[in-house]
Amino acid sequence: MIGAGGGATGLGAILVEVLQGLLALLLAPGIVGLVRFIKARLQGRRGAPPWQPYRELAKLFGKEMVVSRNASWIFGVAPYVVFASTLAVALLVPMLAAPLPIDRAGDLIVVVYLLLLGTFAIGLAGLDPGSAFGGMGSSRALTIAALAEPTIALAVFALAVPAGSTNLGRIVARAIEDPGGALSPGHLMALAALFIVMLAEAGRLPVDNPATHLELTMIHEAMILEYSGRSLALLEWAAFLKFFVFLSLLANLGLPWGVALNPGASAVLVAAAILIVKVALLAAAVAVLETRLAKLRLFRVPELLSVSFLLALLAITSSFLVE
Amino acid sequence: MSVEIFTTVMTLASSLVLLAGIAILWRRSLPAYIHAFARQSFFIVVAVLVLAARERDRELVLVALLMFALKVVFMPAALRRVQRHVGADADVRPYVNTPVSLAIAGILTLVAYAVAQPVVALSHLPTRGGMPLALASVFVGLFIVASRRSALSQIVGFLVMENGIALLAVLATYGVPLIVELGVFLDVLLGFLVMQVFVYRIRDAFETTDVDRLRSLRH
Repeated sequence: MIGAGGGATGLGAILVEVLQGLLALLLAPGIVGLVRFIKARLQGRRGAPPWQPYRELAKLFGKEMVVSRNASWIFGVAPYVVFASTLAVALLVPMLAAPLPIDRAGDLIVVVYLLLLGTFAIGLAGLDPGSAFGGMGSSRALTIAALAEPTIALAVFALAVPAGSTNLGRIVARAIEDPGGALSPGHLMALAALFIVMLAEAGRLPVDNPATHLELTMIHEAMILEYSGRSLALLEWAAFLKFFVFLSLLANLGLPWGVALNPGASAVLVAAAILIVKVALLAAAVAVLETRLAKLRLFRVPELLSVSFLLALLAITSSFLVE
Repeated sequence: MSVEIFTTVMTLASSLVLLAGIAILWRRSLPAYIHAFARQSFFIVVAVLVLAARERDRELVLVALLMFALKVVFMPAALRRVQRHVGADADVRPYVNTPVSLAIAGILTLVAYAVAQPVVALSHLPTRGGMPLALASVFVGLFIVASRRSALSQIVGFLVMENGIALLAVLATYGVPLIVELGVFLDVLLGFLVMQVFVYRIRDAFETTDVDRLRSLRH
């Protein structure tokens, strides 16, 4: 197999992929824990330590699973679909090295729709047991997903136009080669649009409050309310992973330096260290932002998402029409 | 400073000017409008200063300082004072709801790109990439004037429009002669003061700044 672009050869590239998947899986809960920890400190609480989510997952995996009598097979399958699709996205997003052979398996569009597949599965799972909260959560989550999807598509194309490819690895590699392009308004606005969409898709604060089970506000929590034990652990882990993937995508598209252009052992290890720093910084920024923002009323969420849509539209206008 | 970086910075500043104008369509209180206007003026000042640094033009520095004093400090302060006086109807109810206004702003930007195409094609300046954005912010200002009820928000819309024209002048000509710039400043200031007086009069006569109520003058 010939590497796409860089000197990525078969075995080395596969090792990088495996390392990337493991890194994402293992770090994701820690990053969410870090956000919670920083938020607690900023709000004057002592807060649980950043590794608390690991304990939660370990505990949930050991617990018995209770399934509603009304639930069908969809309820049982959904956690696996959500987890698998998110893990696939985690492998497709360039985190450590830029052009990898697996880039051929899917570009940005595949990433977007894999994420939506997860949202769809979890939405169905929320409806399946027929509980009132689950239905409400699904309806809200899918409304938001429907509004966020065109934004992601536009922002993605705005990023893809200057690189001449929708391939994520290619886009990141090109951003490293041409640092001036990273400052262009099209690029920045596309990133801002993606950031807002990230907050909406990952269920972060102005859209959904991940810390409460208050029926008026919850979206993600409402959908997974019926789950317990192993399934709940998988869904939670997938949610952590999704947040981590979005953060590393934003970090590597916005500040691509540090991503290894050749998958040598030392370069990849350095890339991993830099990635952790970048994602941790971005997570801290999210924590600060969440401390300063109040949750939006549900009916104002479409306004926020139309802002991000407009940003994406302006981004694509300026990258298309100025060329 | 290389030409590419200069071009990118100027286009970025123009985008920020447009975004600050669009922010008004999203926000819903007059203080937020005034803040967005001040921020927009600040981005223009930055653009003028960058241009002045590149061209080593002292007059442009003077223009930037004047602009800062007038549009970033004085006018927002004056607007805030009027807003405190008028107070009660600080709640801004636009004719068009927020998502639709944002969509219209997007369409206006596309129109600006289409309309400015020939002008941009004629120009050889490295700042030409920002011209459609400046034009778009003129359009957005006009849309704010057309879509808001309160007389005060219409003033803010007018000022946003004026900012767009000022930015367009800077981008298209590298700064008009100082005397013209001074004349424009004076004009804007005078217009602003007259409008301010009008707002007070409207408020005294109707106890609101909602221009819809002015229809009763017809009878």
